[in-house]
Amino acid sequence: MISAMTAEPSGLIYMVAGESASAAIASNIFNALLKYNATLDLEGDLAESWKISDDQKTITFKLKPNLSWADGRPITSADVLFTWKSVTDEKTRSPYASDYQLVKKAEAPDALTFTVTYDQAYAPALDSWSGLQILPKHLLKDQDLHTTAFARKPVGSNYYKLDIWKNGENIQLSRNAKSVLGPAQIDKLITRIIPDNSAQFLELMADNIDTMGLDPIKYSRIIPARPELQKNLNLYKELGNSYTYMGFNLKHKPFDDARVRKAINYAIDKQEIIDGVYLGLGINIASPYKPGTRWSNPSLQPYPYDPAKAKALLKEAGFVDTDGDGIVERDGKPFAFEIITNQNKEREKSAVLIQRRLKEVGIDVNIRAIEWASFISRFIKTGDFDVVVLGWGLGLDPDQYNIWHSSQQAPGQFNFIGYNNPTIDKLLEQGRTELDPDKRMRIYHEFSKVLLEDCPIVYLSAGYGLTAMHKRVQGIVNPIPPAGVGYDSHKWYIPEPLRRNEMSAQ
Amino acid sequence: MRIEMIKKALSNPLALAGFIIILTIFLLAMLAPVISPYDPDEINVKAILLSPSWSHWMGTDGLGRDVLSRMLHGGRISLLVGLVAVGISTAIGIFLGALAGYYRGWVDTLIMRLVDIMLSIPSFFLILAVIAFLTPSIINIMIVIGLTSWMGVTRLVRAEFLSLAEREFVQASRTLGAKDMRLIFTHLLPNSLTPIIVSAVLGVASAVLMESGLSFLGLGVQAPQSSWGNILTDGKEYIQFAWWLSLYPGMAILITVLGYNLLGEGLRDALDPRSGSNR
Repeated sequence: MISAMTAEPSGLIYMVAGESASAAIASNIFNALLKYNATLDLEGDLAESWKISDDQKTITFKLKPNLSWADGRPITSADVLFTWKSVTDEKTRSPYASDYQLVKKAEAPDALTFTVTYDQAYAPALDSWSGLQILPKHLLKDQDLHTTAFARKPVGSNYYKLDIWKNGENIQLSRNAKSVLGPAQIDKLITRIIPDNSAQFLELMADNIDTMGLDPIKYSRIIPARPELQKNLNLYKELGNSYTYMGFNLKHKPFDDARVRKAINYAIDKQEIIDGVYLGLGINIASPYKPGTRWSNPSLQPYPYDPAKAKALLKEAGFVDTDGDGIVERDGKPFAFEIITNQNKEREKSAVLIQRRLKEVGIDVNIRAIEWASFISRFIKTGDFDVVVLGWGLGLDPDQYNIWHSSQQAPGQFNFIGYNNPTIDKLLEQGRTELDPDKRMRIYHEFSKVLLEDCPIVYLSAGYGLTAMHKRVQGIVNPIPPAGVGYDSHKWYIPEPLRRNEMSAQ
Repeated sequence: MRIEMIKKALSNPLALAGFIIILTIFLLAMLAPVISPYDPDEINVKAILLSPSWSHWMGTDGLGRDVLSRMLHGGRISLLVGLVAVGISTAIGIFLGALAGYYRGWVDTLIMRLVDIMLSIPSFFLILAVIAFLTPSIINIMIVIGLTSWMGVTRLVRAEFLSLAEREFVQASRTLGAKDMRLIFTHLLPNSLTPIIVSAVLGVASAVLMESGLSFLGLGVQAPQSSWGNILTDGKEYIQFAWWLSLYPGMAILITVLGYNLLGEGLRDALDPRSGSNR
């Protein structure tokens, strides 16, 4: 099976690389202690079972017996302990270290037991152990994870192992006979590196790749218009765990005033963005959680499009058009700001639609699309912006401490909009330490409600993830489970007559 | 230029063809607000990516805006950037070239080494690097293109001045006691005008291309303002499907650049005695 990715991973040790390209490949090679099943409940991956102590501070994992790495050496709790030490080591500089640094004590009392003890009950703990890919100690001991050759010649435990990595061309995986989870169906996974989306689509049309993510235009306009593509491709649509938003720099005036933020929210027609930019392939949201999941508060309603209310709120905040130029002023200064976004077509188009709607209530908006690296380093990390249009991709645990807590505002941290709300801080702290799922749910429902009322960001939409897959790939779970279209991909298969011939040129 | 020079220039079929092309494009761009069928920024989410039809001659783009209207308004930007950028580069080029060619000596050496240094840097990358530090805007683009493309004119003016300075009428004027400024402005400069004009016309073509390239990369004209380059960027996404988003701006750039080149080459053939009138 051949897929494509736009960026080449810098290495396959995910805790160091910290990029989605690395995760996409490495997750076929490595296992974590736990994993999510089809309905997004946790189950064992390397672990056979786990137990939480009565004081809720200690978790004891039991590994499955007789597991081995692809090179035949056994997998033991020493590997897990080594991985934990690596990820928390200052020298590793892992972007994921913070979750694991909360572990006060980690031990491997015998070859199959691994225990971690936290200072206080930490609700996202189990989720964090599903995200840490366990590395082999015998190959990485005393090595620098940033420079080790292992990052390009990994030895793992999952369904596949790395065969060939051709720089800038492709990464080829083949079935790992010693996989801890049993054999996968498809022999070879080839991931081609094709930096340009349009070029990927040409390759899909030419049947040189089997699958790729689609944008709404390709999904609902291009493919349906071409019978020869429809004949070969299955299309999948699922609500993604991410959303697009417009965020205010709360340290800049007048965005410190909730009335102004709400006015802007009322002035933006969210449905128009969904229809115009996403061709209807998205939904309007009112909380930072995927609608339909337990964490999403079903009683909340998005701000409707109401320009009259927007104008009234602006007036209340002191913005009135005194000189008749169509732009409102306060203290003689016209209300004008710049929206910055990265060079992402959908976000740019959304910004253009927002620009037009805000003009109608008397706000003058400028748009600037900036290349990703300088966008992050020059504007986000320095806080040098008025308003951003960006997206958040979310994990499965509801904890959003990193994004909203007032302590997370240092350069490079995720609360770059400078949000500071004591009620929200308290709820986030409670949510992290509450292990009872129902109580926890109520905390996050309340959190979403306060957030919506305070309006530090405007939710624009949650878009659907769209995937095209060649019909030769079979066994895909349908309807798509909550875990997504890629769930159980080891059970996918390509029937003999449909297989590609030996991939000579590719 | 005198009337007979213009007549002579336009009797050259190449120059005439180029002139007509440029004139047409200019008229279309000037009249854009009048002849555009739609407001170029008018969004219609119900008419996204429509193929060309009677109501939208060049189709619509990803936000349902009329491509023809955006092309016409975008043409204004492309032409403006071309002219202003070349104005800046020609002014700098004439000034430095005149200094170098007239005073020679260390002034000449200094200016020519500067030219060599500037020429050794690929200009598109230099512009990319500079724009990355500034806010992309039409004004900045014009200035940056102007400030990075004066080297050709400088060399040209210097060479003209060097050769003209040896001619009898200049020598005679100098013997009669004419001052530097008088020599430069009444003798040397007017007699260098032809090659300067030719090079400026050709320069506009490359400035138009440069602007399109920058806008294509997202570093030029910013949304929602249209330019041929950024319409082309939108088109890239949908090239297999919405061909009109790539074809029309591509053609516009091609024809404009061709027009300026034809005009420039034609002018050179017609006006430059050294290139011979037998062509």
